[in-house]
Amino acid sequence: MEKSTIPILRLGNYLLTSPQIAIHDKIAVQYKDEILQKIVETKVKGLILDISAIDVVDSFLVRVISEIASSANLMGCPTVVSGMSPAVAITLAEMDLSLRGVFTALDIEKSLKILRGEEMRHT
Amino acid sequence: MSDLKQTLISQFEENFEEIRKQWVITMQNLGHLKALTHDDIERQSKAICTTVINCLKTNSFKDAEAYAESLAKKAVLEAMTVDQIISGFLVLRDLYGRFIKKWYKDDFNQFFEVLDIYEPVARKIVYLVSNTFIQERDMVVKQQQEAILKLSTPLVQLWENVVLLPLIGVLDSVRAKQLIESVLMYIGQSKTEIIIMDIAGIAAIDTKTAHHILLTIQAAKLMGTEIIITGIRPEVATTLVTLGINMTGIETRSTLRDGVEYAFDKLGFKMLEAPKRQESREQSWKNQPSQS
Repeated sequence: MEKSTIPILRLGNYLLTSPQIAIHDKIAVQYKDEILQKIVETKVKGLILDISAIDVVDSFLVRVISEIASSANLMGCPTVVSGMSPAVAITLAEMDLSLRGVFTALDIEKSLKILRGEEMRHT
Repeated sequence: MSDLKQTLISQFEENFEEIRKQWVITMQNLGHLKALTHDDIERQSKAICTTVINCLKTNSFKDAEAYAESLAKKAVLEAMTVDQIISGFLVLRDLYGRFIKKWYKDDFNQFFEVLDIYEPVARKIVYLVSNTFIQERDMVVKQQQEAILKLSTPLVQLWENVVLLPLIGVLDSVRAKQLIESVLMYIGQSKTEIIIMDIAGIAAIDTKTAHHILLTIQAAKLMGTEIIITGIRPEVATTLVTLGINMTGIETRSTLRDGVEYAFDKLGFKMLEAPKRQESREQSWKNQPSQS
């Protein structure tokens, strides 16, 4: 299977990934696997999923995002979904998909703050 | 153009001054021109008479439309009200009718023919003028409605990352939709961390309203902003409980003050009394010269 071409970057103790293109269903699943694999490889303490460049989501993409977050959480890697646009937020709220157990933040800076707080709580 | 129409127009033009003067007299008797100066009366009467003749001449109503529009736009400034202007056209229509009767009373056939030419135009002008006024009004009402809607979601910045949203009155679906939109857009632009929604000014709540508020809170949460609710009245609280609306996970505080305190606490600010300043205020009050 080919790679999703979405960069997943290491930033200190955390992983940062920010899709800049429309994510198709096939890529989305691939993307999820890549992120989880990377968490195992790098042993990071947090994941920031920045979706500020995404204008439209469908229910499948939402499911993938919440799957990424829940799986990462299980692997001891708290996840922050950051920079959700108003349009996406209202769509999710209307579909009653509230991303349970996932942190949300306005931007990457605030995501880092949340992750640092989480790390402090656990140590 | 028929000969008869041509004659009629030239007759109107020949008697232009006389008709105009009679119009002014009739209008003055009706008390419709009181607020206008002499110059204004001259100008208005000339404009109104010319408009009718031009419409007859060109058979198009562009002139009347333009005239009515210009009147409607400045009706407030020029001291004539809508009914005065419309009655102005009606008076003019009567006057022309009377003149036509005078000129053609000997030949009934011709009289009716002339009326056939003149009546539709006169009617159309009155219709156009009234219509333009109504449209203008409608536009103003619409603009004001939009302005009210915008004012109905006031977002006030209290501190860095703390914004107050006081809601007052009735939250119907139109307003609730506007609420969701403007709050989320505001969050997107300002990146505010906490919004305090004070609903002390909302007297009653129903399922739909509650749903809209919850939707706003959920969407804001997804964007990374916490909305807390303050000032829930007893009636509102009872309604919420009776309706079985699930408010878990939403921070609520009784008063705005508590809400502000919660927000500050969460952001790591602390409000402290400043005893020194209070002392100095007492001092200055004591030092003031006595009134007696």
